[in-house]
Amino acid sequence: MIDRREEKEERKMKLKVYADRMSQPSRAILIFCKVNGIDFEEIHIELSKRQQLSPEFQAINPFKKVPAIVDGRFNLFESHAILIYIASAFPGVADHWYPADVSRKAKIHAVLDWHHLNLRRGAAGFVLNTVLAPLLGLPLNKEAAAEAEKVLTSSLSTIENIWLKGDGQYLLGGFRPSIADLSLVCEIMQLQLLDEKEHDRILDPHKKVQTWIASTRNATKPHFDEVHNVLYKLKLRLSLKQSSQADGERKSGIKGPIISKM
Amino acid sequence: MKLKVYADRMSQPSRAILIFCKVNGIDFEEIHIELSKRQQLSPEFQAINPFKKVPAIVDGRFNLFERYPADVSRKAKIHAVLDWHHLNLRRGAAGFVLNTVLAPLLGLPLNKEAAAEAEKVLTSSLSTIENIWLKGDGQYLLGGFRPSIADLSLVCEIMQLQLLDEKEHDRILGPHKKVQTWIASTRNATKPHFDEVHNVLYKLKLRLSLKQSSQADGERKSGIKGPIISKM
Repeated sequence: MIDRREEKEERKMKLKVYADRMSQPSRAILIFCKVNGIDFEEIHIELSKRQQLSPEFQAINPFKKVPAIVDGRFNLFESHAILIYIASAFPGVADHWYPADVSRKAKIHAVLDWHHLNLRRGAAGFVLNTVLAPLLGLPLNKEAAAEAEKVLTSSLSTIENIWLKGDGQYLLGGFRPSIADLSLVCEIMQLQLLDEKEHDRILDPHKKVQTWIASTRNATKPHFDEVHNVLYKLKLRLSLKQSSQADGERKSGIKGPIISKM
Repeated sequence: MKLKVYADRMSQPSRAILIFCKVNGIDFEEIHIELSKRQQLSPEFQAINPFKKVPAIVDGRFNLFERYPADVSRKAKIHAVLDWHHLNLRRGAAGFVLNTVLAPLLGLPLNKEAAAEAEKVLTSSLSTIENIWLKGDGQYLLGGFRPSIADLSLVCEIMQLQLLDEKEHDRILGPHKKVQTWIASTRNATKPHFDEVHNVLYKLKLRLSLKQSSQADGERKSGIKGPIISKM
């Protein structure tokens, strides 16, 4: 029987992951930890309620963003840094996630670096400015949406033609997923929130990308879908809203613009 | 099979890598890719880096050495700074210099909104470095007593601000005393390579400031005021 104090100490020692499953990089870390059997505590920070702005969370991460981790007395933020840290610091993480081989590692870093200003910027910006902004009480910005769409489409082409070149079905020609695959696929999953037409319009031209997403999802089941459940539920709510609006429009005779804003 | 570094010393991240290699006595060959002549767009270079950007390396050797702390948590903090850098200091500093000074030299249009937006990000990033990243006992990022690759990367980015006219440069950097000390420390820790690699930048700065002062003279003589200088 463990005494109370020891139990408390043990709880303090467990890895803590501060996350909101609506956040793409949060999902990547949660899936990564679950797939690798890492013992951790998930602490939910509800972004839609601005909980990231609390003084308690600011002490964890002065940048007031999720995800963030606390490992013992060590705090860390920036999802790529976190993925690399967990892959390096916890035993039992399979090598393919973050290979010991320095040149393979370096290529993964190159993808992760490229990601910030390309896929992340495009995908997150596009979803924010077409779907999420109204839900967060923010104004829709049409120019930002158009700009983001350009970056998103260009990034998907780059993944299709450059990063997915090679023998395997993962990034950099890998036969097994790395942290780069997880990070980028979680980002693209946010596009699930777009209405079906928009989603298909943007993703359809990229067959390799679609296969790659399916492979990554398959390699990390059942955790991938479990962690994405919040997103799937919101997608469902949004599409019901879209079809009831469509019905309303058909009945009243008004056309298009409301749906296209969603 | 020497390490090859494809670089343009006008590029901030190129400089970081060149200084790093020289300081650490790494045997390498520097291959100049002249961005102002669009050499990064050549098919030969595209084979090296399909993204057509510098810096890029080709390393034919079998083993590379890791050159940063073995300690996983210290490494992780450095990654966090490097990640933060992309969308913050790099975006702000590079965007600001491009849209106030460099664009005309590269035959690109000046974009005032982009410059204003970039300046906001730049000022905010410098404050973040001053107040968060430079917190700690040492004079380097993350409280370090010795420079890491993060120090080199970020300082080389800030050095691009040398191209601004003196007033602008002092206006932006003046408020940040820790940042100024940190830049000096990093430069000192990597001499003489730091200044040697930055020489191209210093020369351009000189050319630009001579141009600015002759324009100022011209304006004084003809009686026209300010706007031309502030565009520079």
